[in-house]
Amino acid sequence: MSVLTSGGFWAFVCVVAGIYTILALGIQLQFGFTGLLNFGQVAFMAIGAYTMAILVVKEGWSMWLAAPLGIVAAGVGGLVLGLPTLRLRADYFAIVTIAFSEIIRYVATNEDALTGGSQGTIALGGIGTAAQYNGQWSSFQHRVQHALGLSSSDTTMLVIVWAVALVLLTLTWLALRTPWGRVPRAIRDDEDAAASLGKNVFAYKLQALTLGAVLAGVAGLFYAWQFSFFSPGDFEPLLTFFAWMILLLGGVGRVWAVPVGALVFGLIFAGTRFLNFAPFSWFASDERAYLRLMIIGLIILLLVVLRPQGLLGNKREMVLE
Amino acid sequence: MTTLLDVEGVVRTFGGVRAVDGASFDVERHSITALIGPNGAGKSTLFGTIAGSLKPDAGRIVFDGRRIDRRPAHRVARAGVVRTYQSARVLTRMTVLENLMLASFGHPGERLSGVAFRPRASRAHERDVLLRAHELLALVGLETHERDYAGTLSGGQRKLLDLARVLMLRPSLVLLDEPMAGVSPTLRVQLLEHIVGMRRDRGITFLIVEHDLDFVMQASDRVVVMNEGRVLVTGTPGEVRRNEQVVDAYLGKAH
Repeated sequence: MSVLTSGGFWAFVCVVAGIYTILALGIQLQFGFTGLLNFGQVAFMAIGAYTMAILVVKEGWSMWLAAPLGIVAAGVGGLVLGLPTLRLRADYFAIVTIAFSEIIRYVATNEDALTGGSQGTIALGGIGTAAQYNGQWSSFQHRVQHALGLSSSDTTMLVIVWAVALVLLTLTWLALRTPWGRVPRAIRDDEDAAASLGKNVFAYKLQALTLGAVLAGVAGLFYAWQFSFFSPGDFEPLLTFFAWMILLLGGVGRVWAVPVGALVFGLIFAGTRFLNFAPFSWFASDERAYLRLMIIGLIILLLVVLRPQGLLGNKREMVLE
Repeated sequence: MTTLLDVEGVVRTFGGVRAVDGASFDVERHSITALIGPNGAGKSTLFGTIAGSLKPDAGRIVFDGRRIDRRPAHRVARAGVVRTYQSARVLTRMTVLENLMLASFGHPGERLSGVAFRPRASRAHERDVLLRAHELLALVGLETHERDYAGTLSGGQRKLLDLARVLMLRPSLVLLDEPMAGVSPTLRVQLLEHIVGMRRDRGITFLIVEHDLDFVMQASDRVVVMNEGRVLVTGTPGEVRRNEQVVDAYLGKAH
């Protein structure tokens, strides 16, 4: 149980929650404010992370150029997905998004020459080499650590991730308070009515999808830097659904519900690691791993049943027709 | 009187069904024209093709001298043709005020580029919209509900909000889809007054799909009768009432 009291562990939990915040903020923009059912968010995360890693390792780019390009690539991914599919009705669009994310993952698995294949980024430089893409990131992190006088690199990452997350949350919150931000909400409520009011529904959906993809791209970069190695297996659809759970826990249609949902989700996820006392200790450790997932599901189910609007959501909004 | 809307030979099929099968008629400027016909006559489909939410398979729709039948719904609205739906489609999870403030064209602040680079123009437009929204809230008597979610309004209040929202857009032609359906007698009088007033004070032309024949006879200048996807007869309410074909179309279905 000593790990429970270690600061490093909790710093790690909070770093991951910060990354999830950025990822789920994209879905909040797409679904919570525009009504788009995007079940493929993890694809944009993968595009951001892979673009950055490939440009650094294979093309020898500076990470400071490769990272923004990774974000741009994720945004372009949103455009490419949205242009042919956003005219579909909600449920069909949802199916296409999850297919898109699986296509991206399968391409990453099978295009060994480009992505390192199933071995992941370690194989980016070819067989027999161990490729590294985060040298520049590590030295940046060290400089920040010294400048702020922080004790560990974990805490430094925590500060950087949450600083970026707060900036993105604030920008999103501000954007949604402008006249521009009214239009996606109108589309979410009734897209035919919005079109009758002269709103170009398709254009706004495309913007929301693309901006959400850009946010996922940022999350992808932090994911890559935090773990200093990744493979296609890191971008399974499960990650998208984690982000959705965060949305449901925090509350749909509220920007500041996203970090709250992400932290609660992180606590549930990390907290259930320590179920090694009775009656859980009666089970073998591999059984406990599955038991843990069931318990996570149960907790989230309970929270959603007891508080369907989410922790910060508005219950009145849910019953309006 | 001049023609504002000219519908020529419009055809719209769904699979094998010809819902609208070569309908032609026109709507005169400043008129209140009623579009009636038995169930399944193709009125709602025709409405959808005029408003741009359905593309006609054949035919032309000319509004104010310009073809609008190939434009998407939002561009038809911007041209000045604004529709309502049978059940007032207010945006339930937005406030009454927000519902109205959404209804303006060419708002610089509704573009991200405008938000970033034209904040002054955006604010000016927003001020105008707010002013207009308050005027129209007062007109329809919803000023005390400004901050309420539109989803909390009663059916009648939603109809009034819908009408106010249409006025926000300064339309030249308003398409009303069964405005009197499920409306109380009091609201009926109110709506009729608003429609007549909107034509008188703002020069708005109306094309109204309506089943309520009392309302049609009372309010409209011209009546277009549809049956089986085509226009059967057009004329004044008096002419239409006396027309045997119309009587057959209605009673024939009923017997």
